[in-house]
Amino acid sequence: MSWIDNIIAGLKSKNINVISYVPDVVTWKVLKELEADPFFTVIPVAREEESLGVAFGVYAAKGKAAVFMQSSGLGNSINALTTLAIPYSAPFLMFISLRGDLGEFNPGQVAGGKAVRPILDALGIQHYTLDREEKVEEIIKGASELCFNGKEPLALLIPTILTGGKRGSF
Amino acid sequence: MDRSEGIKLVLSRITNDLIVANLGPTTFDLHFLGDRPENLYSWGGMGLVSSIALGIAVTVPSRRVIALDGDGSLLMNLGSLATIARQSPSNLIHIVWDNQQWGETGGQPTHTAFNTDLSKIAEGAGIPNVSRTSTIEEFSTALDLALSSEGPSCIVARIVEAGKADRPKEVEPNANLIRFRNSLD
Repeated sequence: MSWIDNIIAGLKSKNINVISYVPDVVTWKVLKELEADPFFTVIPVAREEESLGVAFGVYAAKGKAAVFMQSSGLGNSINALTTLAIPYSAPFLMFISLRGDLGEFNPGQVAGGKAVRPILDALGIQHYTLDREEKVEEIIKGASELCFNGKEPLALLIPTILTGGKRGSF
Repeated sequence: MDRSEGIKLVLSRITNDLIVANLGPTTFDLHFLGDRPENLYSWGGMGLVSSIALGIAVTVPSRRVIALDGDGSLLMNLGSLATIARQSPSNLIHIVWDNQQWGETGGQPTHTAFNTDLSKIAEGAGIPNVSRTSTIEEFSTALDLALSSEGPSCIVARIVEAGKADRPKEVEPNANLIRFRNSLD
């Protein structure tokens, strides 16, 4: 299966069925499949922080949510992590498509891309990188258990070596 | 009207509806006037109550969800109005206490003290049922309409700032979230 199918299979196997997102070229390959699949309730938002509010609400209502964003959106999301998700112990998965990664063409994406892991580390948010297609589903399953049992948000980073980035190859 | 009159009226018209309260005065007042397991209080995430309410509304479509927002907070997250309009959950009521000030930081005037009308922004965002009220009678009528209509609804209630209740003695976000989740059983 492709990395796209593996992400979808991982979400389905753990019943993570509310997805909130701001799209990018890479994650849209997954999101368009989710939008067409009645298993998922898919909520596009205007700015990334909103999607964390939605995911928090889903957990408050006893559901399980994941958010999809580009790495540039992590900066827009930090207050929702530090003042909402973490102090309330509200878990959800954050899929973060990395810019400023292999093949990047835009200087405007490099600083934020490099900062993703240090930001997550500073916040104490565990993160795993989906860099091997054959391990994607397994990592999502394990991450889901860790996230929802540990009651903390958890980040799954989507690197360009998995996806080929915006153009599909370097 | 003031915020506590508005909250009392909301509490008098509902039974087991879920409420998400904005941080600061709305959380303090709701806790003081009618603490109940179906209340989710905010101690952070400024601007996000309507987003949180949307997440709840899509997850438990059989329950009505009421977001109690504020003008300063909603101004931080105007995109949420468009997101709610696009998703259009019929069980969501978004009430904005518009006191035209950032009440928790010294009463500085917000944009609604000047030319900004949040109800027009909500209409422009595509929210189907939008009301703008300035008296308790108008608010009562708008609330009844929202409670009897397919949502989403948005009521922008102009209020006079008349002070707030003391904050709860114990600030326990996680305990509140657990109690709220258990109330859904």
